[in-house]
Amino acid sequence: MIDRQLLERERTSFMAGTDLAGAALGDRRHCLELVSGDDTGRRFPVAPGGITIGRAEPAEIVLGEAAVSRLHCRLALRDGGVIVTDLGSTNGSFVDGVRIDRPTLLPVGGILRVGHQFFKHELLTGKQLQKSAELDRDIAVAAGYVRALLPPRLDDARITADWVYHPCAKLGGDVFGYGFLSETQFAVYLVDVSGHGAGAAMHGVAVMNLLRQRVLPDTDLADPGAVLERLNTLFPMDQHADMYFTIWYGVYDVASRRLDYASAGHHPAYLVASPRGEALPMRTPGAMIGAMPGRRYVADSIAVPAGASVYLFSDGVFEIVTREGRQCRLADFVPLLLAPMVAGEAESQRLYRTVRAATRSNEFDDDFSLVVLTFK
Amino acid sequence: MQVTTIDGITRVVLDGRLDTEGVNAIELSFTATIVPAGRPAIVDLGAVTFLASLGVRMFISTARAAAGRGNTLVLYNATPPVAEIIDTMGLGEIIAIAGTEDEAIALAKA
Repeated sequence: MIDRQLLERERTSFMAGTDLAGAALGDRRHCLELVSGDDTGRRFPVAPGGITIGRAEPAEIVLGEAAVSRLHCRLALRDGGVIVTDLGSTNGSFVDGVRIDRPTLLPVGGILRVGHQFFKHELLTGKQLQKSAELDRDIAVAAGYVRALLPPRLDDARITADWVYHPCAKLGGDVFGYGFLSETQFAVYLVDVSGHGAGAAMHGVAVMNLLRQRVLPDTDLADPGAVLERLNTLFPMDQHADMYFTIWYGVYDVASRRLDYASAGHHPAYLVASPRGEALPMRTPGAMIGAMPGRRYVADSIAVPAGASVYLFSDGVFEIVTREGRQCRLADFVPLLLAPMVAGEAESQRLYRTVRAATRSNEFDDDFSLVVLTFK
Repeated sequence: MQVTTIDGITRVVLDGRLDTEGVNAIELSFTATIVPAGRPAIVDLGAVTFLASLGVRMFISTARAAAGRGNTLVLYNATPPVAEIIDTMGLGEIIAIAGTEDEAIALAKA
């Protein structure tokens, strides 16, 4: 996690114009953009005197993870470019995937890896930086707000639930939640609002608040079809800045071990029984919420064997572009669900790690939201 | 984006990725080409490699605006990856979808 105080200092100095003012303002400026982790999208100007990345101060960019050495590497401006020098770190510094053993040019667009964090080298004007900082601040606030509303991981006698939420730099409109409606009924949902930015996030939060506070009017929250129909009534896109959303909503009954579900414009969730042999898609037909007034949504059901897992995710999980430039589809992701679990690692983390490693520059173009439920 | 007129129908050919950047680049001209023309429109998706939610939103908004003037918007010739997204989102319930150009023209005139 990036040191928050440092970030605030960066922003404060930037907004006051002390760092970029004068002759530098309006000129292009070397920056590092974080393209991984919770602080994706943060930008760090490379100061004229250079900048150090490490696990603790006096490093200017502080990464709080064990794989990062106290003073890990230093970036310096030289001959109009950025040179990276590893400072004898334990785990090394990598430029475009290659561990460096001498001062190495980080080209514009190149990727620097330090520990598990990835930085992209950008060349931006002062105006772009200022706009970016303002947008980053708004987006970061919105992402933090969404994150604060997400449910805690669950390890119940009947169900375990873990998840990964990794908003993209532009912030998509993903939200999700789960919880017991009664002693025996457990609801789970995932919403993906069209578009990106604070507006999409606000729309997602509005939907989420209705569901998490269980205040959907005149609706049985244990009836997935009814929930979708009510949401479709409440959120017509012509009254919500032309935004629609897709949703997958399910209710598991502990006593009968039955999962009722309905979806609207959303790809399937998958049920994987134990032992893992097949990923069963769970989806009902129906257009996205908000685009078709009066549409009816009908639920379907599936029996849930003991030890089975349900994987529920947004399209940002599989619509990635690989390092080779190939656009992936759902069919590319589903086989990963059947890959062996990793001892000591949550399923959601295993999948996140696997997908992220396949992405171009370890960067997601859309929110990565993945919920894994396991039914004991 | 290429625009032609066939038999009183506006024909738009799109290409590339209709993600945030792709949609931002064409949305204004796409809508301005189709809606004020006051005639049916068909949109060839044969060279579109990726369709994001913003692209779907652009199609829905434009189709609604065209419908408000009594005209139909038809999407056709989608590649398998794009057809998969259209199917998943249930877009066919909202906008006319055709396989070939002839089918699209027939739907646009209906």
